[in-house]
Amino acid sequence: MRRWLLTLVVALILAPPVARAQVTVQVYALPGGGGSPHDVAVGADGTAWYTAQRSGQLGRLDPGTGKADLIPLGPGAAPHGVIIGPDGAPWITESGTNAIVRVDPQTRGVRRWPLPEARGYVNLNTPTFDRRGRIWFTGQNGVYGRLDPKTGDMQVWDAPRGRGPYGIATTPDGAVYYASLAGSHIARVDLDTGVATVIEPPTKNQGARRVWSDSHGRVWVSEWNSGNVSRFDPRTGGWRTWKLPGERPRAYAVYVDDRDMVWVSDWGANAMVRFDPQTEKFEAFPSDRPGANVRQILGRPGEVWAPESGTDRLVVYRVK
Amino acid sequence: MTGPAGLLPVVLALLLAPLPGARPDPLRGERVFQRCYACHSVIAGEDTLPGPNLRGVLGRRAGTMPGFEFSPAMLEAGTARGLVWTRRTLDAFLADSQGMVPGMTMTMLGLPDADDRRDVIDYIEQAN
Repeated sequence: MRRWLLTLVVALILAPPVARAQVTVQVYALPGGGGSPHDVAVGADGTAWYTAQRSGQLGRLDPGTGKADLIPLGPGAAPHGVIIGPDGAPWITESGTNAIVRVDPQTRGVRRWPLPEARGYVNLNTPTFDRRGRIWFTGQNGVYGRLDPKTGDMQVWDAPRGRGPYGIATTPDGAVYYASLAGSHIARVDLDTGVATVIEPPTKNQGARRVWSDSHGRVWVSEWNSGNVSRFDPRTGGWRTWKLPGERPRAYAVYVDDRDMVWVSDWGANAMVRFDPQTEKFEAFPSDRPGANVRQILGRPGEVWAPESGTDRLVVYRVK
Repeated sequence: MTGPAGLLPVVLALLLAPLPGARPDPLRGERVFQRCYACHSVIAGEDTLPGPNLRGVLGRRAGTMPGFEFSPAMLEAGTARGLVWTRRTLDAFLADSQGMVPGMTMTMLGLPDADDRRDVIDYIEQAN
């Protein structure tokens, strides 16, 4: 009996944490000439699309074979954000040429919707679809906007506090929020009027860079300046804030997976960090290379994808 | 054969085309600065943007503006490599930012057009 108990105790001590054992990491090196992946999006079939910002291309990675190829987006292109639309196609905030771009996943044809010329260069950042098939986008020079691909109608609004609109996301109930990095706030957009209402996080000058929603419609925010991850609950108007571990965390991107686990890229620790809101514990997955510089995170059920812009690699964290 | 009237658009185009080495144009530089505007300012006191204020940047060692937290890559460029911002180094940086300071936070890829770089540096220099 004593020996059995001893064996059990030793086994418990030696066993890796349960959550850690559930995650496997796979790294994909990207082809030369199309590196510096800025954003990534994974389709229902598992194909990963990424913006090769430096070379003005859209990358397409087949995770089964590990092979990636590149689709040119035209002269002057410097794509920033990419998401998969309800039509299954990659949609891009094409910062270099000031346009919203769709790439046909079959023909690879590129279609562009330029912003109104009178707006000038807006530094397009990130897109999101609402539940009515319209794509909303941010422009870091101080705008946000909306395109209805069915009609081609595009509206662009001045952001309430000028420059800063960065990450943008849609909650399960269809609400659209964006983060303002320079403005240190988040904003909720009225889908009919386009009016953006500023919502202040509790930490001053926190540098809200990206937002994502959990399954309850609570909005998670990665705070670049403060190194916090924070959560806004639209039902109560309340906030919770947690400091990432380490001496000088810098929270760049945030994403909430299908289990409501919160993933944050921390440039201070050169790591992806997973936060469990139930236990309020962080778990770090450091990159095996210095300067990973993950600028965005996206996934699908069971997978969390992170583009390492500093190492020219895509990394997928598979959760079982 | 094209008649005199047919040559008019060609003559106009030649007259209106910018000459090589045209005079500096800070006003045009202000428009080019829209590429930088999301993160940088040249106005004194605007110090809470994601990038450092560029007022007075010429002559400054890279990564040393007081009160701004630079990336390790930019700090290394200033301290270990001795990078100081001059018109020449700023031009090289704007031509290939990540190539010159690999791993820095800034994502702006630079300005491939030499006239754009010259004009935006004029604009920044004026703010000095």
